[in-house]
Amino acid sequence: MIQAQNLTKSFKTTTKKGFKKETTIVNAVDHVSFECKPGRIFSLLGPNGAGKTTTLRMIAGIINPSSGTAIVDHIDISENNDEVKKHIGFLTGSTGLYERLNPDETLDFFGKLYHIPEPKYSERKEYLFEKLGINEFRKKRLGQMSTGMKQKVSIARTLIHDPEVLIFDEPTSGLDVITADSIIDLIRESKENNKTVIFSSHIMSEVDLLCDDLAIISKGSIIYNDSFDNFKKEMKADNLTQEFINRVKEA
Amino acid sequence: MRDLFIIIKKELSELLRDKKTIINSIVLPTLLVPIIMFGGMKVMEMIEEKEQQKSVKIGLLNAPEDFTTLVNSDTLNKVTTYAEAKDFKALIDDNTIQTAIVFPADWSTQMDSLATGEIQIYRNGSKDNVNGRVNRMLTAYDASLKDQRISKLQISVQKLTPFNKNYIEIGEQKELIGKRIGGFIPYLFILTMWGGCLLAAIDLVTGEKERKTIETTLSLPISKFKVLLGKAIVASMLGFIPAVLNLVGLIVGLKVIDGIPDSFKLAINEMLNLQSVTLILLLLIPFALFLSGFIIALVAGATSFKEAQSKATPIIMLIIIPLVMAMLPGIELTWATVFVPVLNIGLGVKEIMAGTIDMAQYAAILISLIAFAVGAIYFSYKKFSDENAILK
Repeated sequence: MIQAQNLTKSFKTTTKKGFKKETTIVNAVDHVSFECKPGRIFSLLGPNGAGKTTTLRMIAGIINPSSGTAIVDHIDISENNDEVKKHIGFLTGSTGLYERLNPDETLDFFGKLYHIPEPKYSERKEYLFEKLGINEFRKKRLGQMSTGMKQKVSIARTLIHDPEVLIFDEPTSGLDVITADSIIDLIRESKENNKTVIFSSHIMSEVDLLCDDLAIISKGSIIYNDSFDNFKKEMKADNLTQEFINRVKEA
Repeated sequence: MRDLFIIIKKELSELLRDKKTIINSIVLPTLLVPIIMFGGMKVMEMIEEKEQQKSVKIGLLNAPEDFTTLVNSDTLNKVTTYAEAKDFKALIDDNTIQTAIVFPADWSTQMDSLATGEIQIYRNGSKDNVNGRVNRMLTAYDASLKDQRISKLQISVQKLTPFNKNYIEIGEQKELIGKRIGGFIPYLFILTMWGGCLLAAIDLVTGEKERKTIETTLSLPISKFKVLLGKAIVASMLGFIPAVLNLVGLIVGLKVIDGIPDSFKLAINEMLNLQSVTLILLLLIPFALFLSGFIIALVAGATSFKEAQSKATPIIMLIIIPLVMAMLPGIELTWATVFVPVLNIGLGVKEIMAGTIDMAQYAAILISLIAFAVGAIYFSYKKFSDENAILK
C-alpha cells in the first residue's frame, strides 16, 4: 500500500542578473495526496513537467520531500527511505541499466543487494528470464542490446526481489507490441499477486486495459483522484485521450 | 560491509571492461617509465654520436705552428688559415666558418718572455658542440704551454701545487641520488595517479548520468554514503594501481634497459627496497582516496564528460605547483610542510628514497593525509547527496 500525504517538493532556482543573483523557490509537487491499494493498479497521469516523476522519485526514496510524507508498505519514507527501497520495484525512463554488464550479472548485482536467499533468488531469476524471454541473450552485454531487450532486463531487475510495491513509469515506451504485451502480462500478474502497482503511461489504451484507480497531476497538484470506473462514468469527451487533455486544460 | 564490496566489485567490473580505462590505467603507466628511460637514453646517444661525427669549420689567424698542428690532428676539423684579420662575425653568420681563433701577431714573443697572451675566440654561444670542441683544444694547448714553462723555469710540479683536494664522502650514494632525483619520482606517479582517479571518478559519476543509470543506482536499497564510498574506493584504486605500475615499470626498466650506469642502478635499487616502497605506497593509499573524493565532489554537478573534465582539469595546477616546489633545493620536510597535501608527499618520498625520513614526520604526513581523505569523502558525500546536482 502507498499513502501519499501532502507530498511537497520545492526546488531552488538561481538566476544571475549581472552581479546579482535571484533565488526563486518553485514547488514541483505541491501537497499531493493519494492512496494506492494492494491488488489494484493505480495510474498516475500527467503531461510532461507536471510533477509526476518527482512524485514517484519521492515515493521510491530517491529524493526527499520538502514537506509531507508517504507511507510505503507501512514504512514512512521520511523516517527510513533506504528501507523503503527494499520494498519497491522502481522503473522509469531514467532508470537505465549498466551497459558493461550482462543480464545475469545485472540481476546478480541487484539480487545480492536485496539480500535474497540463494535458492529463492535463482528460482526467481530463472522464472523472470523465462517469462520475459531473456535466456537467449542473458550473457550478452547490455550495451550491445536493442531497446526492447534492455527493457525486458529492466523489468526483470525491477521484479527480482518480488517487491510489495511496484512503480512503472512508461514501461512499454518504444517497445514492439509483443514485448509490450509480455510486460503488460507481468503487471497484471503482480496485481493478481496482491501487489500495489503504480502505472504511468501516455498510451491511453494501456491505461484503459490495466487501470483500477486514477489520479491526474498537473502543475504539481492533483486535479483528479478517484476510481477509473468513476472517471469513465464522468467522461464528457468521446475517448480517454481527449478527456485527459480537456481536464488538464481546464485545470 | 558486504554491500560495499558488492558495489566495489560491480564498479570495478564495469570500469575494467572499458578499453579506455585499461589503456590509461594499466598499459600506459606500466610502459611509461621504461619508455621514457629507454627513449631518453637512445635519443641522447644518437645526438651525442651525431655531434661527434660533425665536422667543425675553424678559422685561424696568427696561430702558432704547434696549435695549428693540434687543430689539424682532429681530422673532423676543417681549418682555414687567414693571413690577415677579417670580419669574423660575418664569416660565422654566413657559415663560412663556425668559429675563429685569433692569436696576437707577437704571440711567439709573448710566449718567449713568459707573458700572458690574449686569444680572441669568435663564437656563437648556442653552438655547444663547436664551442665544446674548441674549448677542449684550448685547454689542452694551455696545459702543454704550462708544462713547457714549468720545465723552462725548472720549477718542480710539487711547488706549483700547494694542496690537493681529497673529498671523503660521508653521505651514501643512495642519499645523494635520493635527494637529487627523489623529487622527480612522486612527480611522475602522482600525475599518473591524478589521471587515473580523474578518469575513473568522471566515469563513475558523470558517466552514470550520461548513461542514464544514476537513478537506478540511487534506487538501490543501500545508503547513498555506501554508494559514494564504493565509487570513491574504486576511483582511488584506479589511481593507486597506475602509480604502483609506474614504480614497477621503473624497477623493471632499470633491470632490463642497458646503458644505465651501474652505480646509478645500484643506488636506485637500494632506494626502492621493500621498506621504502611500502612506506611510499602507504602514503599513496589515503592520497588516492583524497584525490578521488575531491574529484567526485567537483564533478558531481556535471552533466557531461566534457563539463566534468573542464571542472576538474584546472585543479591539476594545485598538484603540479607543490610537486615542483618539492623538487626545488632548499625546500625541506619540516613540521610546517608535513601538513601541506601533495607537497608533503613530494618531500616525504624524497626523504624516504634518500633513507633520511624522520618516522615521526612520516606518521604526521600519513595522519594528515588520512584526515584530508576523510574530509574529501565527506565533501563528496555532501555533493553526491545534493539532489539538484546529482539528478541534474
